Amino acid sequence: MAALVRNEKKLHLKERLTHTGKNILLNKEKYFLILPGVVWYAIFAYIPIFGLSLAFKKFIAKDGIFGSPWVGMINFQNVFADPAFAQSILTTLRINAGRLIFVFPFPILFALLFNEVRIGRSKKVLQSIFTFPHFLSWVIVASIMINILGQQGLVNSFLKAVFGIQSIKFLGTPSYFQPLVYITDIWKSAGWSAIIYMAAISGIDTEQYEAAEIDGSSRFQRMWYITLPGIRPTIVVLFILAVGNLMSGGFEQIFNLSNAATWKVAETLDMYIYRITFRGSVDFSFSAAVSLFRSVINLVLLLAADRVSRRIGGSGLLA
Amino acid sequence: MSAKSKHKYIRNRFELMDVVILIFLIIHAIVIIVPFISVIGTSFATQREAAASKLMLFPTKEPTIDNYYRLFQDPRIAIGYKTTSLILLIGVPVNIFLTTSLAYGMTKTNYPGAKVIFYLILLTMLFNGGIVPVYLLMMQLGLIDTLWSVIFAYGVNTFYFIIMRTYMISLPDSLVESAKIDGAGEWRILFRIILPLSKPILATVLLFFAVDRWNEWFNAMIFLRRKDLIPLQLVLRNIVMDATIVGSLSIAGPRVPRFTEGIQCATIMVTMVPVMCFFPFLQKYFVKGIMIGAIKA
Repeated sequence: MAALVRNEKKLHLKERLTHTGKNILLNKEKYFLILPGVVWYAIFAYIPIFGLSLAFKKFIAKDGIFGSPWVGMINFQNVFADPAFAQSILTTLRINAGRLIFVFPFPILFALLFNEVRIGRSKKVLQSIFTFPHFLSWVIVASIMINILGQQGLVNSFLKAVFGIQSIKFLGTPSYFQPLVYITDIWKSAGWSAIIYMAAISGIDTEQYEAAEIDGSSRFQRMWYITLPGIRPTIVVLFILAVGNLMSGGFEQIFNLSNAATWKVAETLDMYIYRITFRGSVDFSFSAAVSLFRSVINLVLLLAADRVSRRIGGSGLLA
Repeated sequence: MSAKSKHKYIRNRFELMDVVILIFLIIHAIVIIVPFISVIGTSFATQREAAASKLMLFPTKEPTIDNYYRLFQDPRIAIGYKTTSLILLIGVPVNIFLTTSLAYGMTKTNYPGAKVIFYLILLTMLFNGGIVPVYLLMMQLGLIDTLWSVIFAYGVNTFYFIIMRTYMISLPDSLVESAKIDGAGEWRILFRIILPLSKPILATVLLFFAVDRWNEWFNAMIFLRRKDLIPLQLVLRNIVMDATIVGSLSIAGPRVPRFTEGIQCATIMVTMVPVMCFFPFLQKYFVKGIMIGAIKA
């Protein structure tokens, strides 16, 4: 009896295998279709991911990443012993937590206000202006900022002409660096990010507004009780993503806006990785250990934010 | 958009609130525009006028193209344009080919292994190796100091892949089925049926890739160290940073005859104007693109 069952199972498995085989043959053109893309992901996304195993190895150039010998946790011990590493984590958290508070609400505000603009043509012009800076690189935006915030730049000329204030070193003062990051971030991206919220607003049922109007609600009330709850799922998703980015993000911005005078307050984790890898004495294993730490923390933060959001009854990211 | 119809029933009243909102938005628009005007103005100004006028937005007394003239004598500008153009002209077709073929191949995940591959692709959005192993990989492949490193480091963009796939899924199934019955192969279906039907999303993704390639600088900074292989963005960075260093050193010394800020602004202009020229097309498509992406997210 038992043998019979086993036999049947074997048969079943065989059947399934031939079925899968047939399926593969049947779809062989599909495999050719995805082959180039899959090969690209394998080489340029997955080899680097497995390359992070270097964090547990001692890198020897002639052996490459995968031939280098394993050394256990030594690299991590070195990383955690470097005070600049801990400092860079604090800097990253400080800058990015500030982003959540000062930068994150702006696109929502813009979308809400933009939705209330009633003149169609001015809307289009405004939208063009708000979204344009998004398409410029941080190199260009930082160059523009260096130009207008310099000693003889537009802002200092304005302050001098109107208020008689002596020129301020906006770019060279460490305590101004964080506000500079937030303001330039809003300047460049708030209008663009608002589009996502506007897309969400256009999906809200218009009947709700009509009913509220009949009930004699004010415009502000409609904004607060209909529009805002209507885009809540979008806000939650973007907030989760922002939390997931607490340990990274903003490298291009900070790299281009910082200078010798401000690097101390500007050395985020990404800046730290850049410095130890491409400036000064190179230890690729050490860099890989920091990178692995960064990637793992990012993933954990993202999943945690997602979990919390679901627990409090909101929608999740991977819903 | 539908916001217009939403307010039709209260359109006759133009309240104080409207004025306040409009003023707020216009102020923000001015804050965005004024730096651009300042850059354009300074790029056409002489040192004398910039120094003499208290608050110069645009040179009125003696506008000049001298800054541009001097800028184009700098060999780096030609190198920058050449490098960036090559990256764009070779890179974007690579991006489009990889992304479209993968997106179409992944519209249905009903064949063995497809689901796993799809989730592995999505996983790269959550987890990546960072720049260090990529740099070592490029070294081992011998691509350092060649354009191929920059071109291949950015192949499929997972976000654009999702946008494209979502769009292709929405296309009617019957077209593909009938083509299959007629004996057309998958590649043929992709080029003859799917891509012509996906024109709007193809245009969106194409423009996004083009802008990304134009703005490419970080990978180039890491992978390319030859002096004759610098993309335009890095040329701008070098010129602005060089000038900042020179400027800080020469404050007490004799003034350099060139108008440093003017040349900086001219560099910003030559880097920015191509994006400005393409912006109207971009704007036509990006809202659609981001909406499809938003639905997925």
